[in-house]
Amino acid sequence: MKRTTTLLLVILLVFLASGLLFAKGEQEKKVQPASIEFWTTETQSDRVSTIQALVDIFQGLNPEIKITVVPVDENDMPKQVAASSAAGNLPALAEFGSENAIDFGSSGLLDTSTATKIINSIGKSEFYAGPLKMLESTQSGVYYAMPYHGWIQGLWYRNDWFKDAGLNPPNTWESIEKAAKTFYQPSKNQYGILVGTKAEVYAEQCFTQIAISNKARLFDKNGNLVFNSPQMKEAIQYYAGLANYNPPGPQTWRARDYYIQGKMAMFFYSTYIMDDLALAEVAASSLTGKNFKELKGAQFDPQLVVHTSFAPIITHKQPSSYGVIVALGIFKQEKAANTAAAERFVKYLYGEDAYVTFLHMAPGGMNPVLKKIAASDKFMKDPKGIFEKYGKKKIEEIIAGLESIQRFGIVEGHLITAYGKIFSQQIIPQMIYKITQEKMDVDAAMNWAEGEMKKIVNK
Amino acid sequence: MTIQAKGLKAEEERFGWKLILPAIIIIASLIFYPIGYNVFLSFFDVKLRGPNTYIGITNYRDIITDLAFWHAVWTTFLYVIFTTIGTTLVGLGVALVMVKEFPLRGLVRAIILLPYIAPVISVVFAWQFFFDPVNGIFMHLTYEKFHLFDQRFNLIGSPQNAIIVAIIFNIWKNFPFSYLMILSRLQSIDATQYEAAEIDGASGWQKFWYVTLPEVYFVVGSIVILRVIWNFNKFEEVYLLTDNVKVLSVYTYFKAFTGTMDQGQGAALSVIQFLLLIGFILFYVKRVLKW
Repeated sequence: MKRTTTLLLVILLVFLASGLLFAKGEQEKKVQPASIEFWTTETQSDRVSTIQALVDIFQGLNPEIKITVVPVDENDMPKQVAASSAAGNLPALAEFGSENAIDFGSSGLLDTSTATKIINSIGKSEFYAGPLKMLESTQSGVYYAMPYHGWIQGLWYRNDWFKDAGLNPPNTWESIEKAAKTFYQPSKNQYGILVGTKAEVYAEQCFTQIAISNKARLFDKNGNLVFNSPQMKEAIQYYAGLANYNPPGPQTWRARDYYIQGKMAMFFYSTYIMDDLALAEVAASSLTGKNFKELKGAQFDPQLVVHTSFAPIITHKQPSSYGVIVALGIFKQEKAANTAAAERFVKYLYGEDAYVTFLHMAPGGMNPVLKKIAASDKFMKDPKGIFEKYGKKKIEEIIAGLESIQRFGIVEGHLITAYGKIFSQQIIPQMIYKITQEKMDVDAAMNWAEGEMKKIVNK
Repeated sequence: MTIQAKGLKAEEERFGWKLILPAIIIIASLIFYPIGYNVFLSFFDVKLRGPNTYIGITNYRDIITDLAFWHAVWTTFLYVIFTTIGTTLVGLGVALVMVKEFPLRGLVRAIILLPYIAPVISVVFAWQFFFDPVNGIFMHLTYEKFHLFDQRFNLIGSPQNAIIVAIIFNIWKNFPFSYLMILSRLQSIDATQYEAAEIDGASGWQKFWYVTLPEVYFVVGSIVILRVIWNFNKFEEVYLLTDNVKVLSVYTYFKAFTGTMDQGQGAALSVIQFLLLIGFILFYVKRVLKW
């Protein structure tokens, strides 16, 4: 009896002590009042309302903190940040693309220690590796900002055609070329693949993934131009070869319509295509059914979503995927309370409910960077029911493409600023156009492109 | 002249200036100022952020030594020559037919104007849809139905055809203007001239050569100069329809507003374009229109 009483007393004491300790901890964590701004690049009114609703809930839970949502056009973000940095009133938190994050981070505007702390508290292994790598600073393990969402590009293909022809999924150079060749039957008005050959951004997006899979780069980490390399030449030759299986003439993203019409085996596209493949009302603009009922592929094919698979990673000398990562960045603040408030809000945004609500603003376009969210049932239930049409396994596979996402403009945590100009001058798309459409010799076209790039680098 | 009369004249002159002052202000601010500022900018390295740097004639030197510029000049030359001849000849031909009496002439005359009055963007989309290599009606008829070609091809997109397509498009879209001008002149030719020619035993060709052509000479001359000015500066039709027909206006646009946005060179290019055009107009007005 006595032993039992002593045991009960000990348990009670342990319980009380831990209770006291916990209470002390809570008191330490107690939030200081703060009023901060959150700049977001989601400027569409419906998205602003969703974000405002998330903020309202957060404020309800944290009455000491006040957050003002400020929509900023993504193209204006660098300008606005520069202006407000000069005025000394940077927002505590902002959402922007990874290129911006590195730009701001390397200029010393971002609070890297808080960002790194948040990433570590969530757990690095919880994130897909690609997005983290894109935001890592020159110092290993230190991050400029926290990845939040992104889209991935890859090859969308007809799995039923591939199965009937006994072909492997198009995720290596060999399997892509073989499939493109097999399904290229122009006499039947059917084409093997779509790669960009018009002098537009789309061509650069398709080509980047191929080039990186061959370890071809534009710059080394010191910013030296290393474009004219054997790897790059090999990638260009391979890409030009694929273009032979394209629909006739120079092509750009719009030719994805031919896939939706059942006239093409595969095409490069981002995850923004997911609703076009799954929903008749979205696909309507790619079909001719309204005016030309008798044409082949004029009507919506509800089975297309089932018969479509996605190969986000292309492997040759290394695996490569292409995409855009949008990050949350905490700007350095004078008041510690502002930083603490931003940190608290970011952690809330990473919570399952808030995160899924945020991502569902653009199903397919905004994908989670946390593996567990990609696998969660809540994420699968988007308001339009797009994901359920694909099935959980396929969605997870699609998002897993974030694992090896890379860009030409970021080399080992260094942003190569000259790349932005090369990109906007469309030098690579023009080179691709010269080779595939004007039949210019590959060496001559590469020399031309290198000359143009040097003009920018040396300026 | 008395002092009083002199004072009155001066007063009238002042009043005259006052009357035209609003027009002068508007013209100066909307036309002379932009032209002047453009010429001024062409001597600077223009920065989008930060101050501009004076660099003398470097922009002009860079342009003249750039092969792409001469290519653009050549392309513009071809484009202007063929579109001007094409629109004028087609316009003249159609006007000669439309001046004759036939049933439903009013309706046909109105339909002919359609390409000219339709908005460029909608017409461009219609052409692109028509010539689409996979779904277009043109390929459907020529390849699928009548087997005129051994494979499908992209008529508008192919770089070999692009300039030809741009020229044909321009002629098709703009000939109704020439047609309308020439037709109105044709209708006012006195029928007795033709009767007199017939009595003299003139053939149809001779009537055209000795009666019609002298009558429409100055109208055609004016149409040609207008078309040269318009087609020399033509941007939207070329830019929207094709990818790679870099006439001077498109070339200037790419220099000034895409990529590194070299607006100093863009300004210099438009000055050169302006001088080329002015040079042609002065020559043409003196020699052809004989003003």
